[in-house]
Amino acid sequence: MLFSSTLIGLREGLEAALVVSILVAFLVRTDRRHALRWVWLGVSVAAVLSVTVGAILTYSTAQLSFEQQELLGGTLSIVAVGFVTGMIFWMRKASRTIAAELRGKLSDALKVGPLAVLLLAFLAVGREGLETAVFFYAAVETAQGGTAEPLLGFGLGIVVAIALAYLLYRGAVRFDLGRFFTITGVLLVFVAAGVLAYGLHDLQEAGFLPGLRVLAFDTSAAIPEGSWYGTLLKGIFNYSQQTTVLQAVAWAAYVAVVLPLFLRPVRRPEESKPAEAVKESS
Amino acid sequence: MINKSLAALAGSVVLLTLAACGNEAATGGGAIPVEATDSACSVSTTTAKTGTVTFEVNNKGTQVTEFYFYAAGDRTIGEVENIAPGLTRQLTVQVPAAGTYQTACKPGMAGEGIRGDFQVTG
Repeated sequence: MLFSSTLIGLREGLEAALVVSILVAFLVRTDRRHALRWVWLGVSVAAVLSVTVGAILTYSTAQLSFEQQELLGGTLSIVAVGFVTGMIFWMRKASRTIAAELRGKLSDALKVGPLAVLLLAFLAVGREGLETAVFFYAAVETAQGGTAEPLLGFGLGIVVAIALAYLLYRGAVRFDLGRFFTITGVLLVFVAAGVLAYGLHDLQEAGFLPGLRVLAFDTSAAIPEGSWYGTLLKGIFNYSQQTTVLQAVAWAAYVAVVLPLFLRPVRRPEESKPAEAVKESS
Repeated sequence: MINKSLAALAGSVVLLTLAACGNEAATGGGAIPVEATDSACSVSTTTAKTGTVTFEVNNKGTQVTEFYFYAAGDRTIGEVENIAPGLTRQLTVQVPAAGTYQTACKPGMAGEGIRGDFQVTG
């Protein structure tokens, strides 16, 4: 009872925590600590909004219809993909200006608007915030009338998600800058592809897009979402045990376009890696 | 950038408005208890009148479950997911037309689920 609720907390919290921790590490590493307050503002607004709307849905007679719920989740997810993709390319641009940083010029080499930072943090947390808040209230009600185990488990899951994200942040601030941008950028490409597929599935469930029952694969038996490894995969990459053809195609197309764009060699004034120089000359 | 912020603001407003002005659910003792386990899905009453129908799903199993309400052809009318073991969650659906519908519990949140027919009369 405790463990399955822990997995839900972990799953709902992990992706948001990872995206926010990479964003924080990015801002710290590029000497933009002043922008951190926009991150925390975005996170707070998303959390407060989710908890408030969740309370309204739980304790009043207001309801979201199934279509409204899925449309909201799907739309927020697809908008979030846009912002995470933006973040991926800020990171690429920043790694391009490492040389400039050495000369202390990074601050004017790359401008990231506070609003973009705020919205990215807001969407990362707000995307699944409502569903998470509604689950939280159900656990609270169970704790009042029955057992507190689901509530404790859920809290534990959120704490584990934040702890994992903090560890990633600690690691990220120790990596050398180029490796940090490459590794976290590639991670984010797969995270964003998963969010895109998740959003499309919501829109399919609501009937706004066709093909809900046209599955590309069903791995419920091999990698069940209820297992701890399925949970980690779902929490980070939005792994779905029953993936529709539309989801699979969108996922593959996103990765096929964004990953090569992100990884394409950066032209630097003093190129020292011969392997990259060869690639560039072709 | 201003467009983006407006979009997000609009999104937040929509979120609040949807929640505030969404369909009003019937209140009172109308909820139909559903007991879900890892192998069974017992819906205590399998008939209802058209309009608002509320299910109260209690998960007595060991797996996280979901509860679905389907119209003919597996068209989803409503769904509540993440019903952890021990938890009770409500699903409220609007059923506009009489007919045969289906309920489903999905222990492990996978597969077609444990189905049962549900009759709605006008």
